[in-house]
Amino acid sequence: MADILAGLVGTFFIVSVLSMLWKDNIVFRFGQACIIGASMAHYCFMNTQMVFTQGVIPLSQGKLTLVFPLLLGLLLYSRLNKDIAWLARYPTNFLIGVGSGLMIAGTLRGQIIDQVKQTIVDLFAGFASESPLDALNGVIILVGVITSLSFFIFTKEHKGAFGYITKIGRVFLMISLGANFAGELVWYLTQMIGRLMYILNQLIWPLLGMA
Amino acid sequence: MSSQIRAKWTKRYQIMWVACLILMFIPLIHPLGLPTPVSKQVKDYYNTIKNLPEGSIVAVSFGASATLLDEQEAQFLATWKILFETKQKVIFFSTTEDGPMVLNMNLNKVKPESYGYVYGEDYVRLGYAFLGEAGQAAFSENIRSVYTSDFYGTNLNNIPLMKDINSFEDIDLLIYEYTSCTDIEWAVRQWVVAHNTPTIATTLGCCGPMAAPYYPTQVQGFLSGSVAGTELEIISGNPGPGAAISDASNLGIIPFFIAILHTNVEYFMQRRKEK
Repeated sequence: MADILAGLVGTFFIVSVLSMLWKDNIVFRFGQACIIGASMAHYCFMNTQMVFTQGVIPLSQGKLTLVFPLLLGLLLYSRLNKDIAWLARYPTNFLIGVGSGLMIAGTLRGQIIDQVKQTIVDLFAGFASESPLDALNGVIILVGVITSLSFFIFTKEHKGAFGYITKIGRVFLMISLGANFAGELVWYLTQMIGRLMYILNQLIWPLLGMA
Repeated sequence: MSSQIRAKWTKRYQIMWVACLILMFIPLIHPLGLPTPVSKQVKDYYNTIKNLPEGSIVAVSFGASATLLDEQEAQFLATWKILFETKQKVIFFSTTEDGPMVLNMNLNKVKPESYGYVYGEDYVRLGYAFLGEAGQAAFSENIRSVYTSDFYGTNLNNIPLMKDINSFEDIDLLIYEYTSCTDIEWAVRQWVVAHNTPTIATTLGCCGPMAAPYYPTQVQGFLSGSVAGTELEIISGNPGPGAAISDASNLGIIPFFIAILHTNVEYFMQRRKEK
């Protein structure tokens, strides 16, 4: 009985959110407020718990270095008061500094040098391979990389031969965005299927005694 | 747009969605078992785990979200089953607020104990910590700088599995689960580039194209979306929720194909007529 009740509550919220497809209504707004409220409560609880278990409690046990991160975290709230809002710049600068420092080395090697290297390696490996499709694949990737990057060169007018190159680049970009969009569409469908499965498995089948 | 045109398109949308819903419902009531070919990146993902020697240390960075679970549950369940079947030592750490809850649900379904696993000796859950890129870097350098205790509050030094494990040097494989598409860069920058840690990834269908450039040199394999979850179920012989989802999405997408085709044909015919 408890399971069916839980299934009924879940189904109510699914239907309430989907009712927006018909038009904005009070059931949708109620469902939306409940879901956002519950999510926010969960997120607040988890993050508060994290600050306590990883910050406050170890600090109380003598790990004094944790004073600095906790203090920086608290300074972020100074934005709430206009007079001391400038204090929030310290933790923000710290975050940006650390973030940039960590990012730059990895970006250069992982996302630029290694990617360029792999594009060239793939091309040669393709020609060395027995399958002509591998060579074609390597050429397509190389052409795609060069033309797509050319599309973002705005210091030179996209005219003449260069204009043709950027047009090819635009086609590659459109194919790439199309693949992303297709992924999005399948994702939405999967979410919908998941909810249909929930309604079937948690409510309809148990109600019909077929669980 | 005139109201007449708007009404025409609204009706088309409604027909498309109703057709989509009906087609999606059919395999949920009566599974069809449509064939699903296994892609190379899924095979490589599977083989990367399968080829690990028994007892290897696998760290799972678990950034799952409850609201996106339908897209990824098949991936998770199949992955945990493969890890437990191949007798790997697993360290789960959650990087999202929902992570511990989702993992709890998953482990209740998979039941590690049924594979002879003992908590603390064969697998451990480190709970939630907000690990952005800096957090991943800190974790890889010194696990205890981020986690001093596990999900249940036990000090890491009192957990047998964690006694000799404290950094990337002790980890044989990273399974990086994420739902924000660009987060793959964090794993590449902080684990692959910094420490050369073998890494495989699992993510949403829409994030697949952003993970693809890092495969196979930086990320040895990746799962993207529910379809990849189904493929992993097939290749590993662990049936799960993916099969039904895969059939339903294969059928549900048909009205979209027809709509795209129909709209384009209509557009070009209209343009020809105007000329």
